[in-house]
Amino acid sequence: MYGGGNVFEATKFDDLQTEDPAKLEEFEARIARGEKIEPTDWMPELYRKQLIRMIEQHAHSEIIGALPEGTWITRAPGFRRKMAQMAKVQDEVGHAQLLYSAAETLGKSREQMLTDLINGKSKYSNVFNYPAYTWADSNIISWLIDAGAIVNQLANAKGSYGPYSRALERICAEEAFHLKYGHDAVVHMATGSPKQREMIQAALNRWWPPIMTFFGPSDKMSTHTETLMRWKVKMATNDECRQQFLDMYVPKIWELGLTVPDPNLKKNMETGQWDYTEPDWDEFKRVINGDGPCNAERLAVRRTAEERGAWVRRALLNPKAKYVRPLA
Amino acid sequence: MRLNLPEGEVPAMEPKPELDQFETYEAFHQKKEGTAYTYVGPVHAPNEDVAFLFAKEQYSRRFACTGLWIARTENIQVTPYGNDGENVYDTIQFDEPTQRSEQPEAYEIFHLKKRGKAHTYAGRVMAKSYPEALAEAKKAFGDKGPIVNVWVVKSKDVLQSAEEDKDMWTTIPEKKYREAIAYKVMDKITKYKEENKPTTAQ
Amino acid sequence: MNELAIKDLLYKLADDQLILGHRNSEWTGFGPILEEDIAFSSMAQDKIGHSLAFYTLLQELGEADPDTVAFTRNANQFHNNQLVELPNGEYDFSLIRHFLYDNAEIIRFEMLSQSSYEPIAKVATKLKGEVKYHVLHANTWIKNLGSSTEEAILRLQSSLNEALPYALAMFENSKYEQELIDAGVYSGEDAVKAEWLKRIQTVIEKTDLKLPDLATIEPKFGGRYGKHTEHLQPLLDEMAEVFKIDPTAEW
Repeated sequence: MYGGGNVFEATKFDDLQTEDPAKLEEFEARIARGEKIEPTDWMPELYRKQLIRMIEQHAHSEIIGALPEGTWITRAPGFRRKMAQMAKVQDEVGHAQLLYSAAETLGKSREQMLTDLINGKSKYSNVFNYPAYTWADSNIISWLIDAGAIVNQLANAKGSYGPYSRALERICAEEAFHLKYGHDAVVHMATGSPKQREMIQAALNRWWPPIMTFFGPSDKMSTHTETLMRWKVKMATNDECRQQFLDMYVPKIWELGLTVPDPNLKKNMETGQWDYTEPDWDEFKRVINGDGPCNAERLAVRRTAEERGAWVRRALLNPKAKYVRPLA
Repeated sequence: MRLNLPEGEVPAMEPKPELDQFETYEAFHQKKEGTAYTYVGPVHAPNEDVAFLFAKEQYSRRFACTGLWIARTENIQVTPYGNDGENVYDTIQFDEPTQRSEQPEAYEIFHLKKRGKAHTYAGRVMAKSYPEALAEAKKAFGDKGPIVNVWVVKSKDVLQSAEEDKDMWTTIPEKKYREAIAYKVMDKITKYKEENKPTTAQ
Repeated sequence: MNELAIKDLLYKLADDQLILGHRNSEWTGFGPILEEDIAFSSMAQDKIGHSLAFYTLLQELGEADPDTVAFTRNANQFHNNQLVELPNGEYDFSLIRHFLYDNAEIIRFEMLSQSSYEPIAKVATKLKGEVKYHVLHANTWIKNLGSSTEEAILRLQSSLNEALPYALAMFENSKYEQELIDAGVYSGEDAVKAEWLKRIQTVIEKTDLKLPDLATIEPKFGGRYGKHTEHLQPLLDEMAEVFKIDPTAEW
């Protein structure tokens, strides 16, 4: 579950002058023809770096994203919800596995990525730094966070890097279930007893501000961004994703008689775009840099899991084994 | 899981040692009896048996499956990638083998038909080395339309699921709770809307 | 056939799997490596699915619906053995429990797939393949870890010693045991136990683990008759936490 919102902090723009012009031309021509890039192809360093960064953040978002909903597995009400919740959280862990593998094909090991996650060196989607207080919060995540992720991931699946596209195709297929499951759970709450309605409205109120930041702030249109879009690393701007999400899901929220906690939210008939209160980007920056309600807990949980499992990995380690990057 | 998490500032975690996440194995699955095995992705595992356990759940829990093959990444030889629409067998160099077995051995051949898609099983050849296997593969399957990449692996390096274990996959189609199609809420929404129509009187 | 005897058997099967499925699900997101996390979650889902299948058979025999039965009873109404309700502990304990439990469960499924009681036979036949994977998973892990580092062997050995008194109580006879055997429903718990012992011995012999002398171990009986450790009720409360907010609501 990843909205792409973190990539905005641009890394230093490497000078393409240092790349071999003939190879660069061939590489760009391949992408322009609509062909995918595969792991052993020549690629500019900037392309490699940006992809590693993006896929790695995506992977971290999946593994951390499993935590808020994971705490609701044992408490999920009834068999139907219970099994779906388990399968859903399992999928998030599965997605992390697929994405780490895709990033590995570009040359960063899973060991290094997990170390960077736990030590706060690489980021994950900011929304998972907020808590899931009730079952209703878990339902809102399953529905709307996954919905947002699908908007971003469907766009990225058309990107130029073969292994990432393959992973995303499968991820999107699985998330179609998450989305429907989340919607089903929210509909049951919204059309259910007064208590259930109250719970789901409260959860929506809590989650709306983080949801609005899920895709990140407006992109600064720089040569950097243009290059990444030409190379089909970045497939849509943050605002495009946000607008598409609002278009698809605000009507579905409203039809349930729920209110969105933003008095300025409405579709502007002249521009065809949604107007909304600008999210608090200062809070976003503060939280993404570590000062959110759950940052410390999320990383501590991940770290504890790694440390408690260390004896298992030590026991099975074959010192003669040779690590080879996954093939595709 | 109730974890006793540490309080306060914690020092940075020591970087994970090499091979902490083990080596990698590549997995291929068969969706339906009689169809070609297709590449699904890698797993990290300490050995082939564990890799099988892992790949079975990571790659065959959500879609129909009738069989699974596992091969250690290191044991798969890969050709360069060609352009879409071309046949890579026409451009690759067939290197002199550095090692040759005394007797011909079986090799499994996988083709990628288009960049971005997945490698699929082409068939088996007999050869005394990887380059010879590739040359044999060109003769046997090299004329079948565009092929942008070829993987070659010795048959003995491929762990194949056993015929008698096929029942491990029989219940997958019944696990509807993990299918989007199992969730139908239009009735509830329609009913809710009808009962809560906005009144025009206001 | 005595319906009470069948119900007793079904409750026992269903409750074991419901509770173990919940315990195993607590590992989701915390496994020792991502791939194992996924595998363990699948098995937890299977267990809960199996319990649902058996609760459904109970409903056909006139008991309440599966959700009510699974999520509204108190600990003293549960027929699971105590092994499955113990907290997860570290991964060594969870693996040992999984190994001891599933090696018994596969035998029950094999026997029940031949049962004279057709509804059970059908369910057991259908679900047997899943348990087969669970056993393959358990045995592969025990074989690998049980002959690896000293640290791993010590951990597994101590978990094995800790789990065995509970594991031996999995085979606690029901008051209908002879009736079930006579009617050909299955061969009964003593037969399951004898076969189980052979199978776990075969695996343990391939490792550096030692199976203690079982004759010296006092089994922790009582689970089949509603006697449980202090760990079950809190788990049941947790399972029903959301349900209880509004028991009449559709979640």
